[in-house]
Amino acid sequence: MSVGDGLFTSVVISAISFALFWVAAFTLWWQMHAWRTPETLASTRFDRPDGGDRLAFSLLLPARHEQAVLEHTIDRLLESSHADYEIIVIVGHDDPETAAVAERAAAGAPERVRVVVDHNETKNKPKALNTALPHCRGDIVGVFDAEDQVHPELLSHVDHAFRATGADVVQGGVQLINFHSSWYSLRNCLEYFFWFRSRLHLHAEKGFIPLGGNTVFVRTEVLREAGGWDQNCLAEDCDLGVRLSSVGKKVVVAYDSDMVTREETPGSLMSLLKQRTRWNQGFLQVYRKKDWQQLPGRGQRWLARYTLMTPFMQAASGVIIPVNFAVAVFLDVPVGIAIITFLPMITAMVTFVFEIVGLHDFGRQYGLRVRFVHYLKLIVGGPFYQVMLAGAAIRAVWREQRGRNEWELTSHTGAHLQTAGAGATHSSAPIREDAHR
Amino acid sequence: MTATVPTATDPQPADAPTDATAGPQLLPVRQLPGSRRPAGPGPGAGDGSDVGDASDASDGGDGGSPGVRPSAGPARPMVRFRSSRPDLLLCGALLLVIVLVQGWNLTDFPALSDDEGTYLAQAWAVQQGEGLAHYTYWYDHPPLGWIQIAALTWLPSLFVPDWMTVAPMRFSMLAVSAASAVLIYVLARRLWLPRWAAGLAMGLFGLSPLSVVLQREIFLDNLAVMWMLLAFCLAASPSRHLWHHFGSGLAAATAVLTKETMLVVLPALLVTMWRHSHRDTRKFAVTGAITACALIGLSYPLYALLNNELLPGAGHVSLIDGITYQMSRPGSGFILDPGSGSNGVFRSWLYYDTVLPLGGLAGAVLLLVTHRWSVTARALAGPALAAVLLAVVAMRPSGYLPAMYVIQALPFLALVLAAAAASVTHAVLRRRRGPGERRALVYARWALAGVLAVSAAAYVLPRWYEGDRTALTADANAPYRRAAAWLGREVPDPAHTRVLVDDALWLDAVHSGFAPGPGAIWFYKADLDPAVTKTLPRGWRDIDYVVSSPTVRRDAVDLPTVKAALEHSTAVAVFGTGEDRIEIRRTDRESGS
Repeated sequence: MSVGDGLFTSVVISAISFALFWVAAFTLWWQMHAWRTPETLASTRFDRPDGGDRLAFSLLLPARHEQAVLEHTIDRLLESSHADYEIIVIVGHDDPETAAVAERAAAGAPERVRVVVDHNETKNKPKALNTALPHCRGDIVGVFDAEDQVHPELLSHVDHAFRATGADVVQGGVQLINFHSSWYSLRNCLEYFFWFRSRLHLHAEKGFIPLGGNTVFVRTEVLREAGGWDQNCLAEDCDLGVRLSSVGKKVVVAYDSDMVTREETPGSLMSLLKQRTRWNQGFLQVYRKKDWQQLPGRGQRWLARYTLMTPFMQAASGVIIPVNFAVAVFLDVPVGIAIITFLPMITAMVTFVFEIVGLHDFGRQYGLRVRFVHYLKLIVGGPFYQVMLAGAAIRAVWREQRGRNEWELTSHTGAHLQTAGAGATHSSAPIREDAHR
Repeated sequence: MTATVPTATDPQPADAPTDATAGPQLLPVRQLPGSRRPAGPGPGAGDGSDVGDASDASDGGDGGSPGVRPSAGPARPMVRFRSSRPDLLLCGALLLVIVLVQGWNLTDFPALSDDEGTYLAQAWAVQQGEGLAHYTYWYDHPPLGWIQIAALTWLPSLFVPDWMTVAPMRFSMLAVSAASAVLIYVLARRLWLPRWAAGLAMGLFGLSPLSVVLQREIFLDNLAVMWMLLAFCLAASPSRHLWHHFGSGLAAATAVLTKETMLVVLPALLVTMWRHSHRDTRKFAVTGAITACALIGLSYPLYALLNNELLPGAGHVSLIDGITYQMSRPGSGFILDPGSGSNGVFRSWLYYDTVLPLGGLAGAVLLLVTHRWSVTARALAGPALAAVLLAVVAMRPSGYLPAMYVIQALPFLALVLAAAAASVTHAVLRRRRGPGERRALVYARWALAGVLAVSAAAYVLPRWYEGDRTALTADANAPYRRAAAWLGREVPDPAHTRVLVDDALWLDAVHSGFAPGPGAIWFYKADLDPAVTKTLPRGWRDIDYVVSSPTVRRDAVDLPTVKAALEHSTAVAVFGTGEDRIEIRRTDRESGS
């Protein structure tokens, strides 16, 4: 290798290393947002409600092939301590089993539960939600999924949050709980933990936020003004958040381990991959819709750009970091350059350590026993999870490139939802009870 | 007096999460932690109130649970150093005095030390792009220290290359001392010492004759102290910010890589961080700091590994060899054993000052003993532990005690001595004081405090005045200066002349035109470095001059080539008299004896 070649290699490797370092460092910085100071952590929680329930809620519950869990979910929602709310169950015209469950629930509590039938030929979640939007009578529209376990006190807290902060949108916490089901569910749970516990609060603070798919509450007139959900977007939740925050609507996030909506991870690695592909593709679509360009601040636009591209950068860095590392070790580069190539590795290790602490904190918050083997799984599973993420990112780009978006994937989504739902009821039912204390 | 008013508050208040009643907690509504004042007469309630442990006692209060704590609980007073005019004025005035005292006459006193020359020469090698040393770097110390010296001296040496010798470059240490002095003030305030005690700590640290002597010298320890003080300041960050704690870990690692003996202080840093972090965020903060420290610390073995110099092997130096050498250095005896080397070092410290080493240590012990009752003691637990740890390590009967060892202890000794003074003052003025105490008793308390203060000053000030006066007026380096000048003036063809010099004079010789390495030779390399020995096939006969300084004469006993060169040479110039004289000797190679 000539001197010129060596220099070239060194420069390229350093540039890549620094870029990766900054990407990883920023991601880490944001991921740890909630724990920056005790005050920040305290401010991520729900404020205690003052007891006056003044807003009326319309809770949307789209259900597709969810007959197994729907009843339980509705029963649980009916336990809510809030005074004024209605539950609108949205069922497909081609799904009589779920519809039957919904009708039975409506008959049992006619003043609370109503059923709306979605007659769209091809079905997806945003269409179902938009079908129900005209039927909403409340001041606030809330969205839940059919398998969600909602805390009875949640609505009162959200009510208070709307009134105390003057928010247009309140995003509550969603948490996957079944961390011990499999190696990937462990990481998946932790992703949710860091996202809802920490990162989303930063987004709320910065005024750019991709909302979550459920436990999200929007003032009804704001939602109608915005034209409801985007039926063609695969990540309609993210898109709604981006559109609302881009026009300056105030979004507030609150996370309380008591008050989160508990969910289960997808039932198989394949369905997790598909779900992630859908999200990634959805993020790409949101990026290309360019609503985020209306954001007033340059910093906000960069945050938007960065956040929407995160899945792809994550995938890329998951591949590049080891390659870069190997190049530094096996090619003959100067020692100083080799040290620089370790920078992204160092950030990755710091992230790892914080994940371990996060897992501990997660266990503490939810009263779950995290054993040594789980920490081990977390570490060993890390690289494999990266591979899965990279796979999902590549898959998303490929599908988007070939224009394979909504219809094809929506039917997939339906299938995966069904699997996930079934998996939840059969295999993980005891976990739910357990997790629920 | 408000001796411990700021300390009579919670070092780790769990105020934030219980604030749920105070107002909207959701994100956009930011809450200013400093804006809350204690509702009750909390501060000044006394040294004995055990508020320090309150937050640990009330666990399980995770935000949502209502009314965990009475809202009148103690709040933490924020020390807003940058916007506090009295703090800035006091700190600025003290800084000026310290810089003047340490800076005045610093080239002439104390005597140039061999180690200073070593580090500066290696810094010079770094500046010249010759790697980590102008001889083979053999992992004697982590190189970060003289890399920093190289950075510090780079700009001045660019303008005046001749200044790149030991005496003028002591001015770079002045900057380090100034930074450390400010950091110690900030740290004292962050540990809730009252303003006067923070000033006292800064004064003790910067003006003790022992500090003045040692901090003037180009020692890695001085840089390490600066980094460690920064680490402590960040660990005691009033905002308890995750990344401040992370930064504390980074600074601590830098301190250790600057001078490896700083490892001893790390547990004390951990204690400080533990006490000053909040229960809810502590596990992230402390783990983050440890990770940061470990990862940066590991970069040193990583460097060795990348150079294939981690493990010992034939034909190359290695980190393990370097560590083995340092660990197996012959011990200098028990520190209290008269006649041992350690005892000599110890007495040389006490020669300059007894107040800071002995008083500080007594203060540290006092604080550790009164840990249960005194809030000040709990706030200062970290520095007190650091002082005690360093003392314990110095007491090892078999260990090697370097003369600069005490430098690392100076800031902690100063802090605990000031804190002990604050604690005693508080006890005298406030202990068991009722609301309606009789006037006479109040006067008596003040009188006692005054007597204590005056007698302390009467004891310390004359001694320090003497010590500092010497430092400001004595000229210990005239022989060195004249020897360096002679070398530059009288040697006809320096580029082709080979001279053995000690480290302190080496850069002077290089600036006079001697070739660094083969021409100007660190005297002991002539015997110990195979690469140098190879260039001296005929032993002392290949050498033209020997500059015989006290160091050279002392070490020549074990160095045959140097010894022979001294024996087969005649003094052509002598500077100074007695033990400290410096001779320039020309070898008798022409006589061929």
